[in-house]
Amino acid sequence: MGQAARVLEEKGFTTIVLTPTPEFHHMVGIPRSVGIGYPYGRLLGDAGDSEGQRNVLMAMLEALEKADTPGSVEYLSFVWPEEPKDAKWHPPEISPIVKVRLEEIRQARKEQK
Amino acid sequence: MTETSTDFNGFRFLPPSLGAWIKSHIEKRRFEGSIPWTPLPRALNELTFTMVTSAGINHKSDPPFDMEREKQEPLYGDRSYRKISRDTRSADIDVNHLHINTNYIKEDINVILPLERMAELETEGIIGRLAPTAYSYYGFQLESDEFLTTAILPMAEQMKKENVEVVLLTPA
Repeated sequence: MGQAARVLEEKGFTTIVLTPTPEFHHMVGIPRSVGIGYPYGRLLGDAGDSEGQRNVLMAMLEALEKADTPGSVEYLSFVWPEEPKDAKWHPPEISPIVKVRLEEIRQARKEQK
Repeated sequence: MTETSTDFNGFRFLPPSLGAWIKSHIEKRRFEGSIPWTPLPRALNELTFTMVTSAGINHKSDPPFDMEREKQEPLYGDRSYRKISRDTRSADIDVNHLHINTNYIKEDINVILPLERMAELETEGIIGRLAPTAYSYYGFQLESDEFLTTAILPMAEQMKKENVEVVLLTPA
């Protein structure tokens, strides 16, 4: 998504990315990012929670107005009401890339410890 | 780059092993260089907005994103895109994505592409205008930048036609 934002910005659009993993800006160089601690697939809020979705959207727009430096990252303080293990954001089956890289993924954790 | 100070952990929702793996990739490839920048040209209530999500949403009248090839070729992600008209509602869409639970988006498109919320902000005069078209592509693009040519540039052309000035992006 960061690469898409870069291309659109180069084409003359003002962009902002709402992301659960703003750390990617270290790898890509994203013009404006907003970090939110919400699960993948529900970055604006839960299904049916129109008020919560609006609040996130408004915060995103505030961050858009505030950002004045390329690569700016703003972190929102919204807290998801469930623990990550209960958020059920995972796909029903392990994704193809995780299946084929499982050993590498396990090794990454061992190296991190 | 400016960052608000934080103890934000963007890997919190990931299983620890997967989080460690992604983090290791981010640490291996540190960005260096310039970051493109188009300043916000006017006040929000004078601007035309659109949105792009990488959630793999298609209108039911359009073809779905291809998940079968990725199942055969795990490094491949569909490189096409779909237009999503601003009046699209949850009942009108299908969602295909092998890396997230798509049920919440099918139930309420606004959890990732807040078309109804943006239309409300337009009515209230908080934003100037929501463009006729929003967009979706497929966010898993691991080893190819081809989607920038096949998806993002055509979107940009349509955005120019609709006088879009600001793009809100939501990865899945």
